[in-house]
Amino acid sequence: MNSTNRGKRKIHIAAADYIGLALVLVGLVVVFSLSTKYFFTPTTFRTIANQIPDAVIIAVGMTFVLIIAGIDLSVGGILAVSGAVLGVCLVQFKLPLAIAVLACLAVGLLCGALNGLVVSRWRIPSFIVTLGMMEISRGAAYLVTHSETKYIGSAIEVVGETSVLGLSLPFLLAFAIVIAGQVVLARTVFGRHMIAIGTNEEAARLSGINVAPVKLAVFAICGFLSSAAAVIHCSRLASADPNAGNGFELQAIAAVVIGGTSLMGGRGSVVSSFFGVLVIALLGTGLAQVGAQEPTKRLITGCVIVAAVILDHYRHRLQEARR
Amino acid sequence: MRKFGMLKALISLLCVILLAALITGCARKSVTTEAGKPRIALIMKSLANEFFKTMEDGAKAHQKRHASEYELIANGIKDERDVARQIDLVEQMSAQRVNAIVIAPADSKAMVSVCKKALDAGIVVVNIDNKFDSSALAEKKVKIPFVGPDNRKGARLAAEVLVKKLKPGDPVAIVEGAPNAYNAIQRKLGFEDAMKAGGMKIVTSQTAYWETDKANQVASGIITEHPDVKGILCANDNMALGAVAAVKAAGKSGKILIVGFDNISAVQELIKNGAILSTIDQHADKLAIYGIEYALDILRTKKSPADRETPVDLITAETLR
Repeated sequence: MNSTNRGKRKIHIAAADYIGLALVLVGLVVVFSLSTKYFFTPTTFRTIANQIPDAVIIAVGMTFVLIIAGIDLSVGGILAVSGAVLGVCLVQFKLPLAIAVLACLAVGLLCGALNGLVVSRWRIPSFIVTLGMMEISRGAAYLVTHSETKYIGSAIEVVGETSVLGLSLPFLLAFAIVIAGQVVLARTVFGRHMIAIGTNEEAARLSGINVAPVKLAVFAICGFLSSAAAVIHCSRLASADPNAGNGFELQAIAAVVIGGTSLMGGRGSVVSSFFGVLVIALLGTGLAQVGAQEPTKRLITGCVIVAAVILDHYRHRLQEARR
Repeated sequence: MRKFGMLKALISLLCVILLAALITGCARKSVTTEAGKPRIALIMKSLANEFFKTMEDGAKAHQKRHASEYELIANGIKDERDVARQIDLVEQMSAQRVNAIVIAPADSKAMVSVCKKALDAGIVVVNIDNKFDSSALAEKKVKIPFVGPDNRKGARLAAEVLVKKLKPGDPVAIVEGAPNAYNAIQRKLGFEDAMKAGGMKIVTSQTAYWETDKANQVASGIITEHPDVKGILCANDNMALGAVAAVKAAGKSGKILIVGFDNISAVQELIKNGAILSTIDQHADKLAIYGIEYALDILRTKKSPADRETPVDLITAETLR
């Protein structure tokens, strides 16, 4: 095969990766536009664009963790405790925004690094380690805030209100993180090592890859991204709520898996995870606008998740067959 | 020789059983005749909710002031909906032979049978905050006195402030609490009472499970789908916070009025600057105290008292000045 053919095949496969998801997205938009008056409006899409940045950032971190065949159940808890620290810094200690944000990010990085340390040093399954961290961080969030929601107000809202070229800062941040994540995954040695470890950790270790620092780094990155999401989450709600992020870990995993990342590791894409988040956000907004009752919402969301994963299974089989 | 071995084992087993029965029998007698302070167990809902944190703090402060009168064991569950854990707590407190249980049930129906078991064991049970379902109580043939606010009246009071600001025919929306909670249902009814009396149109009513983030999503959807909505009634302040953020993000601050319930510290600013129109203070710190004092009353007089309604206060920008 000469190089132009190979180039064309690459683009063909890349496009095929996203066609399945694009179809699901278009399908959802069509269904909701037909059942409501105001779904297909700029307002709806702007609302969704404002709501997804924190979910997208967490999904990027979760993609990395799932690729190395791990799982991170503590993202919601880390979001809550970093947000709590941010809130307390701004409201109680009246620190400037930059310092409060740095403290918030430091907390997330620390929690993530702790996860990574225990997973890599003692070889304990990440499920249990991050489950423990989930409880620890949630408890810490309540302690820091005395179980109270801290209203922050304009000091933090400025993050959400700053915009460049008409796009809000959180959205641009999420966009930048998705691009950076995809580049790291697809074009760096670190990314290659991540995929190798996820495919077969023992083989990777035997071929000379130093597994422990990679794992530590991946969990630390996930924790750091959770606290970045906390800054955006707090700015959107103008408050630091110790209950924030409840259930985020499962939402993130659902979004990433819908996007095509395998739960077994070794395969994944950050851009697809972004589309996965979009699917879930569209569903949530659409169902709220239709006025569906809560049990119906959950049933439908569950069905869409399973359907998307089944579709992905067939897409993957087709891809393998073509190679 | 083996036959005697078996006999010996059997005899020792019988002795052990007899001994155990004697000990527990004596222990039971000694507890009931012990002249100690009554032990009251306070079982709340989710300690993650600052409403219950305030309640716990109020109860502990009361116990310090009346330390000679009773002992307090305060417990809560992690998650508002964790009924199974609350059932475990009631059973643990019963096993510890407390004299009274003051409980804010996570579910108005599911908690009735375990509380009946406690009653049968001679423990006084007082119901606070979230009322037990009356048909469930009647079915199990128990009477458990309720001490708490009339959520329906309180919600109506808060919503009437909104009625004064709107015209008949104006569209409004309701953001509900957890759908199986008695107080959530009562608050929704109270909102509906006020809206019907004022002639407003309720365009939709959806649940956000008492949570800020969910309420933000639900409110955003409502605002987009019903662009002319003029008011959003939220069954608690946490959800009102989410609604405020949604209104702000849609650029409709001041055009959509918001009502809450609970008077948490986070909304004081927002009420003063008008982002939230009104809320209701249930005096969480006093709720537990009323329940505890009622329990002490029952322990002393051994009478079965009636339900007692506790006062609520309407909070608006005027009252905060």
